[in-house]
Formats: sequence, structure tokens, C-alpha cells
Amino acid sequence: MHDVSLFVPCAVDLFLPEIAESTVTLLRRAGVDPVYHKGQTCCGQPAFNNGYRKEAKRAAKHFIELFGDDEVVMSPSGSCACTIKFHYPELFQDEPEWFRRATELAARVYELTQYLVDVLKVDDFGAAFDGRVTFHESCHNLRKLGISAQPRKLIAGVKGAELVPMNQEEFCCGFGGTFAASYADISESMAQDKVENYLASGADVLLLSEPGCLLNIGGYLSRAHPHKKAMHLANFLTENMKEARS
Amino acid sequence: MKIRTEQFNELAAVEIDKARARPFLKMVPEFMYRIRNAGMPTLPDPPAAQKYAAAVRAEVVSRLPDLLEEFERNATANGAKVIWARDAKEANDFIVGLAKERGVKTVIKGKSMISEELGLNDAFKANGIEPWETDLGEFIAQQMDLPPFHIIAPAMNITVEEVRDCFMDKAGMKTPTVDPVELGYAARVFLRDKFHRAEMGVAGVNIAVAETGTVINVENEGNIRFSKSAPRILVSVMSMEKCIPTMQDAVDMLRVLIRNCTGQRISAYVSMESGPRKQDELDGPDELYIVILDNGRSQIYQDEGVREVLRCIRCAACVNICPVYRQIGGYAYGGAYSGPMGQTLMPLLFGLDRTKDLYRACTLCGACASVCPAGIDHPKLFLTYKAKDVQGDPQFRTGKRPAREAIAFKLWGMGVASSRLWNLGARLFRPFFNWNAHDGKVSSMPGPLGAWFRKRDLPKMAAKPFRDRWEDIKRRKP
Amino acid sequence: MTETAREAILGKLRAAPAKVVPERPPLPPMKEASLQGEAMIGFLMERLAAEACTPFRVKDSREALARLTEIAREEGLNCVMTSTDEVVADLDLPAWGRANDVKVLNPRQFADREAYKNAVFDDAQASVTGASFVVAETGSLGMAHGPDNPRLLTLAPILHIVLIPVDHVVPALDAVVGRCFGRPGKYPSQFSFATGPSLTGDITGYLFRGMHGPRKVIAIVIG
Repeated sequence: MHDVSLFVPCAVDLFLPEIAESTVTLLRRAGVDPVYHKGQTCCGQPAFNNGYRKEAKRAAKHFIELFGDDEVVMSPSGSCACTIKFHYPELFQDEPEWFRRATELAARVYELTQYLVDVLKVDDFGAAFDGRVTFHESCHNLRKLGISAQPRKLIAGVKGAELVPMNQEEFCCGFGGTFAASYADISESMAQDKVENYLASGADVLLLSEPGCLLNIGGYLSRAHPHKKAMHLANFLTENMKEARS
Repeated sequence: MKIRTEQFNELAAVEIDKARARPFLKMVPEFMYRIRNAGMPTLPDPPAAQKYAAAVRAEVVSRLPDLLEEFERNATANGAKVIWARDAKEANDFIVGLAKERGVKTVIKGKSMISEELGLNDAFKANGIEPWETDLGEFIAQQMDLPPFHIIAPAMNITVEEVRDCFMDKAGMKTPTVDPVELGYAARVFLRDKFHRAEMGVAGVNIAVAETGTVINVENEGNIRFSKSAPRILVSVMSMEKCIPTMQDAVDMLRVLIRNCTGQRISAYVSMESGPRKQDELDGPDELYIVILDNGRSQIYQDEGVREVLRCIRCAACVNICPVYRQIGGYAYGGAYSGPMGQTLMPLLFGLDRTKDLYRACTLCGACASVCPAGIDHPKLFLTYKAKDVQGDPQFRTGKRPAREAIAFKLWGMGVASSRLWNLGARLFRPFFNWNAHDGKVSSMPGPLGAWFRKRDLPKMAAKPFRDRWEDIKRRKP
Repeated sequence: MTETAREAILGKLRAAPAKVVPERPPLPPMKEASLQGEAMIGFLMERLAAEACTPFRVKDSREALARLTEIAREEGLNCVMTSTDEVVADLDLPAWGRANDVKVLNPRQFADREAYKNAVFDDAQASVTGASFVVAETGSLGMAHGPDNPRLLTLAPILHIVLIPVDHVVPALDAVVGRCFGRPGKYPSQFSFATGPSLTGDITGYLFRGMHGPRKVIAIVIG
């Protein structure tokens, strides 16, 4: 059994810790007891995405030092996983030793649903839900990591849950990190479209597996449609499991 | 045309309002996206075709100087005259100079994004020569004095009422109508006279075949064929990266280009010029000039990190799928090119300092890269431009990032490598952030990220972040 | 001036870091490339219809002329211009015109370019032509323009009637490579693929046939 190291995105640690808690519950249910490095801070995505590569490198070196010996590094965020997998090697083009370490680590980094379904081969956590759900395809998961079948398998494993289609489910929700504040007009308009599509789907809850998308869509719902829910898939599974406590 | 790339935010705000009022910005790119998706499967293996096209375009970029020389040699052997232009001024001076020399009064123009980039129409007008856009969308945009809204359908945002009023005023239409077919017929009648009498035609180039010295145009309306066939002088303007190695490659590329653009197996007309007309031909140009334009591209070519942008074949698949374009439409981009292809090209042509928002107004969703038949990775290019902008790059004229941003990331950079500092920062920030929290949510915050809260909440920062919960979680065995 | 521009541009390109030329991955051939015989003609008929050509299939020249007579009557044709290619030559259209009260012009009869241009723009209600070859894959007419089939002939008149003997049909677009671009110095000065009537969607994305080129194309497949 792999030594699975939890990579908790900073946004999850600070704003949505229940997602990380659910992640632990699911892993334990699947027979894995994860480790957690308390020294972790942030993968560096905001700095990298804004062109601050020097600062991003500091984050990357810290991360690689901390996680470099783990057999498996796993995160409930595809965009954070992508930062390690794709951007860390880019950052160290001119530092061969760090490049080597980054490339080796990149191969051992997984997103949560990918790890549960493809590696642990578990898609049924004994969850049950009497209602309709719909699924938002997050951009990094879908297009950079090729992840879509895995969360859908997990949803299919929820007894009684009816997965209904949503118009433009693979369309970006408008988060984009600092984009959401720097280009708020455009971001709000994209979030509004996503929410309108969600409401039109007839689903009781919108599921997704990217914390950034949850902050965005959830944040818009909270203001405009407070009675409609969006949830991270990990939370949805654990909240609807028979014995929820891990 | 006037470049307005520095007014992105104001233009975007205006256009979003309009988009809510005019649903066709929601409908037309979606429609074009759907017909593309319907058309791609008429290839036996669409992903293989996309990969092949990308490889051909990458090959072209690698071999560009050789291909250009081969093209020039063969075009000249066909009887065409090849003119090289370093910038818009050289190109316009040549074309307008030629027109004046030949006593040209009227020019008919096939759709050409390059001629927009050059501002060629303004150059003609300044010299007393009348240029007429003949592509229906370009004609409407020209008569209404508007920039193109989309690189393929430049006037798709103009309502039928506006077209009617424009044609009554400027295109000799006598009977008012809002039927698009009748409006189209009115344009046909009006422009037919120009096709008949113009002394010079100007066309763009979709593909320049190096092997044969041939220039190829793709269209549905027939106006480009007219522009190339009726006048006695033809000027074909191409940016240098339009080369394709062989005629067989051109056929393969046409199949991919046209499907990505409109989903068609082939457009209504694909026409290929190899030199001017032969002696015994009754129509066609006596003289064919092919202008090869640089205008900043040889500069782009120097930088291996960005020159993949030269692979673009102008199919607009990226434009139609882009969620940002669908909110704001073409005007907000402030130049001839819109959508992701405009956001990747214009910063390199005009300078990273004048186009700050173009490469930042993107969520990096990657939809564009996923459909691009030239294999361009637009998000990666945006990340590269942002890094250049922060580090400084004299080749592409970077500006200075706002001090507040630079300082914020510097502080962040200090905190991120030390969990002690990081945790301290979080502990200090929490009461400030949660100050006005209610029901577990925060609805407002002063400062640069405050715009988030106009229409969205955030959860309050957890009193106990995950790292503080870990000890308990660890103890709670399954 | 342009000499210097040429040297400057090429010089800059050559001074750039050289890049590796990537290997091309395999390109699966078009399924249509293996079409032949009656299956190919059947596919062509489908594509012609799908591209809004009005396709007719006739057995021989006699039936083709009969169909042409029908068309002239339905469309109210008084004056047409024909090509002088071998397809049309076989049919003796001037005789047909005399028999059916249709004025039959052809480009070669005009003294000069201007006279021809005026006639093709203003007088001809339709053109009647063959094509160098016709592509089943897409329903496209492949035309190597020249004195027998000048450029404006199939473009300016609002109706284009094209005669397609089955032995002129090829399976795929690639035919143009060998047939028209096989011998340097012998390329047609203009070659066009024309597929269906002209088309636009530029007004609010509303698609319709009939813009600057012909509004209607009628294809008569012979054989």
C-alpha cells in the first residue's frame, strides 16, 4: 500500500477545511491511512499564474523539499495537482537538479477522484442520496488531467442519486484565480451563466471537485440563490455515507 | 484601424451589458461551435487530423525562411511579382503607390485580416482611392465604421434593423426590409457594380504553397473570386507565416481548416492563383503582386518560447469556444484580432505594455488549446507573457507591474517558504477578513480583491484551519 | 527598397535559433478516396444535393439536352453563356439554343475583355459549363480556368448549370494535385473548387444561399 501524503490546497486549509476532512474519511474508507506534512503552505499557483516565477520557485522548492520523498501525493484539487505536475518542471528549466526532482515528483502527484477510482479502484463508499445531482466539469481536471469518468463513477456509486445533465457543464465557471477579482465583470457574467445552467438542470445539488470552482459558484449562489447548494464531491460522499464519522 | 487594446476593461464592461440585451452573442459563437463539432467527424479520425495539422504548422514555423524563398522562387516563375514589406508603412506605400501609378480609382477587397492590421483602407482613402469591402460582414462593418466583431463573421452582432438602415443610407437599397436574404440581395446588387468596374483587387491569403508558388483563398460568398478575377491588377497580401510546403499539404490543411472554421467539408469556393492570367485568357489579372508582410513577425520568430503563435491558421475555433469571448464579443479586444488568437498575437505585435489586459483576461480554462488545429497552447503563452511582463523583456516592450501587486507577491513569497511565517500571516489576516462575517459568510472586504464581493460571498476563514484539526483527525482511527 | 526589405526579413529569420522539424504523425486517408464506379456517382449525387445543387442524373447527351430544355423553360432563360470545353462541345449548345429560342453566347466570340465582361455580368442569365473534374468527396466542381472556361463565367451569372459526364468524376480533392499541379510551368493561372451556390451567414449568423456568386447551381450528371 502506498504511503499517501495529503496535499491540502491553501484555500481548502483556510476556507474549506471540511473538504480535506472528507478526503481523509474517504481514503480511510478505501483502506489508506494518509500522512499530512504540517509544514505545507501553498503550491504557488497564484504566483505562477500571475507571472511571479521567482516567488513561485520559492513555493516550489519548499514543496519539493517537503513532499519529495512521498510515494504518492494526493490533492482534492486538480488545479493544484497541475501546478506540481506541469508548472514545477517548467520553473526549473535552468536548474537541472531541481528539474530532475520536480519531474520525478510530478509523476507521483494525483487528484483525489483519479486516485480513488484509478489507483485504489474504489468507487462505492456506501453513500446514498435520494435526489437529483448534476456535475460541473472543472477545467484543469477535464482538459489537463483528462479526469471526467472518475468523478462520474463516484457519483454513480451513490445509491439513489440521479445524475442529470447540465447545459454547458464543461464550460469554465469564471473563477480563474485572481481573474475573478481583476476581471470581475466578466467573471460574474460567467458565474451567472453557470448558475443559470445549474438551475435549469433541475438538480437538487451541484457537485464539483475543484475548490476554486466551489468558492466561485458557491459564492454566487450564496448571494443570489442561497437556498441552492453546490458541494465538493468529497463532502457530498461523506455527508451521505451511512457511518459518516471517520 | 485605431488600436484600443489599452481600453479593454471599459470596453468589456460596455459589451457585457450589451450581451445581456442582445442574445445573439450567446447564440452565434455557440452555433459556430456546434457546427464545427458536427463537421469534424466527417474526417475519418479527427484527433489524428488535428495532430497532423499541428505538426505541419510546426514544421512550417521551423522551416519558414526556406519555405518563403521557395515560395518566392516558384511564384516568380509563374509570373507573379513578390514584394517584401517590413512593416505596415512599406506595405501600404507599395500598394497605394501601385494603385496611383496605374490610375486606380476603385479597389475591391476580399476579406483580409492582414489588411485590417495594415490599416490599408485608410491609406487608400487618404490618397483619393475608394476601397470597397465586399465580404458581406466586412462591407457592413466598413459602412458603419466599426471594427470587426469576429475574425470570420465581422458583423454578426449587428441587428437586421441596423443593417437595413445602413443599406438604405449607403448601399442604394430602396425598399426597407429586415429579411436577411433580401438584405443580402441588396448588397449583392450594390457590390456587383464594384466587381464589374474596379481596376484593382486586394485579397488576403489563406495558404501560400511553397512548392508551386500558389496563393489559395477560402470563402463562401464569391467576393474573393470576383476580386481576383475581374480587375486587371491583383494584390494578394500575406503575413509571412501563411506558407504550407506542398500542394498535397494544402489539400490536407484545407480539410482541417474549413471544418474547424465552419464545420463544412469544403467552403463554397476555394480558389488558387499561380501567377497572373495567361496571354490567351479573357479575365483575370494582367499583373499579380504578392506582398509578404513582416510587421513584427520576424521579431516574434526570434523567441522560441512564443513563436508557436505563428502557427495560427485563422480558423476561429478558439474564438467560438472561449467563454470570455462569449461574454464580451470582439470589440473589447481593441484590435483586428479577437478571442484567444487575438490575445496571443496582439501582445507580441503591439507590445506587452499596451496589451496588459489581453493576456490576463483569461481563466486559463484551456478550451481554446483543446480545439486548436495548429496545436497552439494559448494558456501557456499567456503564462509566458505574464512572466515576461514581471521580469522585463525589451524585445516585447514590457511595462511595470503595479507596486501593490509586486509587493504583495514578494510578501507572499517570503511567507510561502516558511510555514511559521505562513501560519502567522493567516492568523493575523483572519480577524481582518472575518470582521463583517455573518452566517459563516463574508460579503465585503476593502482592498484590491474587493471586486469579488460585488456579486459573490466567500465562506469565512475557518476558526480552525485543517492543519489545526489534523492532530484530532490523526487520533480518530477508522 | 524591397530588395533591402527582403534581405532584412530573411536575414532576421535565418538569424533566429533553429528549431527541430517535428516528425509528422500518420494522417488517416479519407474514406471517400477509395470510392469508385456507381458507388462513387451515388455518393456524388448525395453530396450535390447536400450542397444545395439541384442534381439530375441522365443517361446520355440527348437526355441532358432534354433536361436543359426543361430548365430553360422553368427558369425563363433567354440568354445563356457557355464554356467552350470538351464537355459542352459534345452537346452542340448553339444548335440547342436555336431550337429552343435561347441566345447562346460563349466567351470566345467577344472581341475584347470589356465586351466579354459586360456580357457575362449583364447579359447572361445563366452559364452552362463543364468542369475539369468533379469531386465526389465534397460535391465540388474542379475548374482549371482558361480560355475554354474563364473565371467569371461560373461566377457572375446568377444561375450556373454544370454538365458532369461520369468519367469526369474523381473520388477525392487530392486529384487536383496530380492533375493540375504536377508539372511546374504548366499550372493553371487560376484553379477553383466550387461547391454549391454561394453562401453567407454574416447577418446575425443566419445562413442562406445566394450571395455574390451564383444563387442557384443545377448539376446534370451524364452517364
